[in-house]
Amino acid sequence: MKSEILYPGAFPMVRVDLASGECVKAESGAMVAAAPTIDVESRIEGGLLGALSRKVLTGEKFFFQTLRATRGAGEVLLAPTVPGDIVILELDGVNEYLVQKDGFLAGAEGVKIESRMQSLSRGLLGGEGFFILRISGRGQLILNSFGAVHKLELKPDQEYVVDNSHLVAWTATTSYNIEKAAAGWIASFTSGEGFVCRFRGPGVVYIQSRNPGGFGAWIRQFIPVSQ
Amino acid sequence: MNKPSMNPLSANALCFGSDLPAAGVPCHVDISSVGLSIQFSDLPRETVPFTALAVEAGGFDHDQLVVKWASNGVGRTVYLKEPALIVSFRQFVPPELMADLERTAVSVRRARQRRRTFLLVAVGSVLALVLALWLGFDALVRMAVARIPVEWEQAIGESARRELLAGQTVVTEGPAVAAVQEITKRLTDQIEENPYRFKVTVVQSDIVNAFALPGGYVVVFTGLLKKAESPEEVAGVLGHELNHVLLRHGLERIVKTLGLVAVVAIFVGDQSGLIGLAKRLGIELVTLKFGREQETEADLSGLHLLHRAKISSDGMIRFFERLSESDKLQVEMLSTHPMSAARAERLKAEAASLPGQTPEPFGFDWIKVQESLGHWEAGTL
Ligand SMILES: [Zn+2]
Repeated sequence: MKSEILYPGAFPMVRVDLASGECVKAESGAMVAAAPTIDVESRIEGGLLGALSRKVLTGEKFFFQTLRATRGAGEVLLAPTVPGDIVILELDGVNEYLVQKDGFLAGAEGVKIESRMQSLSRGLLGGEGFFILRISGRGQLILNSFGAVHKLELKPDQEYVVDNSHLVAWTATTSYNIEKAAAGWIASFTSGEGFVCRFRGPGVVYIQSRNPGGFGAWIRQFIPVSQ
Repeated sequence: MNKPSMNPLSANALCFGSDLPAAGVPCHVDISSVGLSIQFSDLPRETVPFTALAVEAGGFDHDQLVVKWASNGVGRTVYLKEPALIVSFRQFVPPELMADLERTAVSVRRARQRRRTFLLVAVGSVLALVLALWLGFDALVRMAVARIPVEWEQAIGESARRELLAGQTVVTEGPAVAAVQEITKRLTDQIEENPYRFKVTVVQSDIVNAFALPGGYVVVFTGLLKKAESPEEVAGVLGHELNHVLLRHGLERIVKTLGLVAVVAIFVGDQSGLIGLAKRLGIELVTLKFGREQETEADLSGLHLLHRAKISSDGMIRFFERLSESDKLQVEMLSTHPMSAARAERLKAEAASLPGQTPEPFGFDWIKVQESLGHWEAGTL
C-alpha cells in the first residue's frame, strides 16, 4: 500500500494505491472515489463485540470499511469530513499511537485497531468520551485533524499541557493526566467546563489547530432557532 | 548520519534520549545474565549491566517495562512491551532490582485489570440498568454502597474534609478539643467491629453544626459547643453524626447524586473514577442533605450508642427539641439535617423502651470548656 496526500492544506485528500489483493481499512464515509477493481467489504474489525463497542459505546459512526483490490491493483481516494490536515504515520510494529476517535481516517491491512476505554475519571473529566483508539501493528496509519496539525516532540520527562479538544493522537510511551483547566484556558463560547491534558514524554503528541466543539458553538449562533 | 537507527523489522523496543528523536528510535534489545544489550542497526552492540539500570512501568496502560540508564553521561530510556522480553528480564534480574520490578509487575497487573473494566463497564451498565428497573434504584444504590471499600471512603472523606476546612481556623488544642475528643472516644469505644478510625477536628466558627464525613472524619464547629447546654447535648449530636458514617448515609447520598455511572464504577472497581466524580461535586458532598429515613435511622442508632456509652439521652432529646423550636439554631442544622418535633418525640419513646441505667458523667467541666471558647452564651437561645 502506498499513499500520497493530494492538495495539502485545508481540503486535502489521500490517494491510496493498492496492489492486487491488498486492502486499506478506512473510516466509513471516507471513500470519495475508487477504481472499479476495488471492492468494499464491511468486515468487522475486532469481532462483533469490538465493532459493537466502537459503534455503540463511542456513540459514533465509527465502523471500518475494508476496501480491497480484489480484482486487480487500483487506487482509492479518501477524504475526511472536516476541513484540515492529513498526516501519514509509519507503524513499525514497535510504536503505538492513541488516537482520538475522530482522528482516524485509514490504516493499512497490518494496522491493528482497538477501542480502548480511558479510566472513568479520565473519560468523565475529559469530556471527550470514554473511548479512544489504540493503534499498533505495521504499515501506514492515516490521521486527519480539524485545522492544521502540529507535532509536539517530548523528550524523556518533558511535559506539555494541551487543551483536550485539540488532541489528535499521541504515542503510547507518553503518559498523561487530565486536569481541570485553570482560568484562561477556557474559550469564552464553551460551557466553561474546560479540561487539559498534561503529557509527559518521551513521545510525540499531534494536536489540531482548531477545536471542533468551539467551532460548533460558533456556528450555532448563526443558525436561526425555530419557535 | 550518526544518529542510531534500525531496520524496523528486527526492532523489538523503542529507545529515547535527549539527543534522539522524540518518537524514539527502534532498537533490538536482548536480556542475558550480564544485563541488557541494545543494538541500533549502524552502531555496535552495547551491553549495560543490571547494576546500572532502573526500572519502572510506563506507557499508556502502564503495561510497558521502562528501563533507564546513563550511557556516557547521556540518559537512555527504553520501552519494552514484548511479553517475551519482559519475561526474560524477570528471569535474569538480580535481587537488588527485584523489588522495583515487583512494583512494576503490580502496575502491569492493574493495567490488565483496567483493560478488563472496558468490557465490564459495558456489560455492567446494561446489567445495572436492568437491575435498577427491577429492584428500584434505591436498592441498587445500597448494594453498590455496601461494596465500597473503606479506603475509598476515606479518600472521599479526606478530600471533602480538605475542602470543608480550607480557609477555616482549626482549633488544635485546649479544653474544647479535649472535651470533644473525650465525648467522641466514649462513643466510638462502644462501636462493635468499627472499621473506621474517627478523627475529630474542631473548627472556630459560629456555625451551629457538626459533620461526620465518609471514612470517619468528624468536624465540630465551636458554634455548636457554645450553644449546647451540656456535653450530653454535644454527645447526642455526635452520636447521630457518627451513625451517619457507620450507616454509610453520606456515601448513599453521593452515589445517588452521581447516578448510574457511579454504581457501575463501584461494581467495576474503578476507585479513581469514583473519587474523581466525588471530587467533582466538591463541597456539595458535605452539604448533601440526608433523607428523612436516614435521619430517623441515625437518630435511633445514635440513641442506642449513647445508651451503650452510659451517656444520658436527655441531652440529645433536649437539643433536638430546642432545635425544632428555635429559628436561630435551625438555619444551619436544618440545612443538612431536616429536623422536626416528631423526631424528638420518637427519641423519647425509644429512650423509654431502653433499660434504665445511671449515666456516667464526663471528666471535664462544661462551663470551663465553654468559657475557653470566649463569649459564653449557652441558654440564651
Ligand atoms: Zn443527620
